Amino acid sequence: MTGPDAAADGAEKEPQRRAEVAHILGVRVGHGANCSSIGSVIDTLFATATVGAAIFAAVVASLASEEVTAVAPPGKNTDHDAEPAPEKTP
Amino acid sequence: MIVRYEPWGAWVKLESQAALVALDREGVRALGLDGGATWSGAAGPSAPVEVHMAVTARCGAGCEGCYLDARPDGVEPPADVLLRELDALRDAGVFTVAFGGGEPTTRDDLDVLADAALARGISPVLTTSGLGLSDARLARLRSFAQINVSYDGASETYTRVRGFDGAAAAEGAIERIAGAGMRVGVNVVLTRESFPRLRDTLVRARQLGAREAQLLRYKPAGRAASLDYLARRLTPEQARSLGPTLRELSSALCDGGDFHLRVDCALVAFLSADEGLARDPARLARFGVFGCEAGGALAAFTVHGRVAPCSFAGATDLRATDLALHAGDPTLARWRAHVEAPPEPCASCSLRGVCKGGCKVVAAHVDGSHGPDPECPRVLDHAEETRKEAPVRGAGSTNHEKETAA
Repeated sequence: MTGPDAAADGAEKEPQRRAEVAHILGVRVGHGANCSSIGSVIDTLFATATVGAAIFAAVVASLASEEVTAVAPPGKNTDHDAEPAPEKTP
Repeated sequence: MIVRYEPWGAWVKLESQAALVALDREGVRALGLDGGATWSGAAGPSAPVEVHMAVTARCGAGCEGCYLDARPDGVEPPADVLLRELDALRDAGVFTVAFGGGEPTTRDDLDVLADAALARGISPVLTTSGLGLSDARLARLRSFAQINVSYDGASETYTRVRGFDGAAAAEGAIERIAGAGMRVGVNVVLTRESFPRLRDTLVRARQLGAREAQLLRYKPAGRAASLDYLARRLTPEQARSLGPTLRELSSALCDGGDFHLRVDCALVAFLSADEGLARDPARLARFGVFGCEAGGALAAFTVHGRVAPCSFAGATDLRATDLALHAGDPTLARWRAHVEAPPEPCASCSLRGVCKGGCKVVAAHVDGSHGPDPECPRVLDHAEETRKEAPVRGAGSTNHEKETAA
């Protein structure tokens, strides 16, 4: 899939993407490069509301413009009688 | 961006900036995407988002607390084995692989492995001691998204943490990696000796060109799994002061946005002592803070090609190349089940959803159980209250009780 404005002449234009902050459950900023325990940026928690809002605004902009590649789904449950996937948080 | 559908929505890894985003289903639909079978089929556990891969057990540094017990003659898997493991990461939809060991820069094919990860859509990152980082070795690091150098402080502090003075080598490596235009950070192990000097350590790291510091809790694994651990770990008072310390350091060092502070999964439990943070767990979740994700968002590949819940935990029987079968592994399932239904005092903790019970490796070493983190301030308070209500005679038998009795 390509970006929202990438339709070629004559091709049907993709619908405009509407990324919104309200639908972001969480943002993990940065790469982290420790090989022994998973890390999380913490200084953003203490930053001003303006800084926090800027992080989410930048994410929304990227969500609306970057090309999409889908990768493997999560592991399948081996219990075939299991309930359908619940909409719980990560 | 790379999208991995999840029962709750999707993980989205952005490519124009370094960020991993959790989007709910409605947010995914708003992008014109749909989770399809993942949203309608049976719910299974998610694959890790990050895997720590031990690419060698060789290292000549001899750090006293090495969690892998790495040695100069340690085993080193051949490249073709590691390439198959990278295939498994791609097939499972893992976003980041952190190469470690041992000293990964001793491998002649590190650049090949990094490029192989990139070719599979996975961001490679690296941890190194910086010891012996020749120009030839430095040239092999270009494909890594970030390189972290182990740096616990200036000479005296470094020596107290690791048992030898590698500070100059680490400082030189930070400077050279930054000078070569690569993104560099530092890993700082917090012991009761290094903690009081943390601010000086971070100031120095930033001066040398580090863009980030990850603070690591000292953990009882490998050579650190001894009674000596009890004398090196943070004191209860230091653990309780972590929140205010982070607040102060963030204000002093991170205001410009060109230097970031990270905490590792095991330190999140200590934030329960910080009223401001404990009162607002949603804020921690929103800024993507991960507590114990062992067996969940995190997994490790041992140097022997097995999957482990994390780098400090024992290996499962699951082969690394079979990571896609993670949902059926009983050990990983046991780790996840504990997080889903933890005992008190974790069950009623406001940070439960983020912290996920603290470090199980510490719990196993100190208390001999897969239970609440015995060094968490909240767990300590709970234990104290329980003791007052039902006094126990005798010194007890766990490592924690032995130290308390002593």
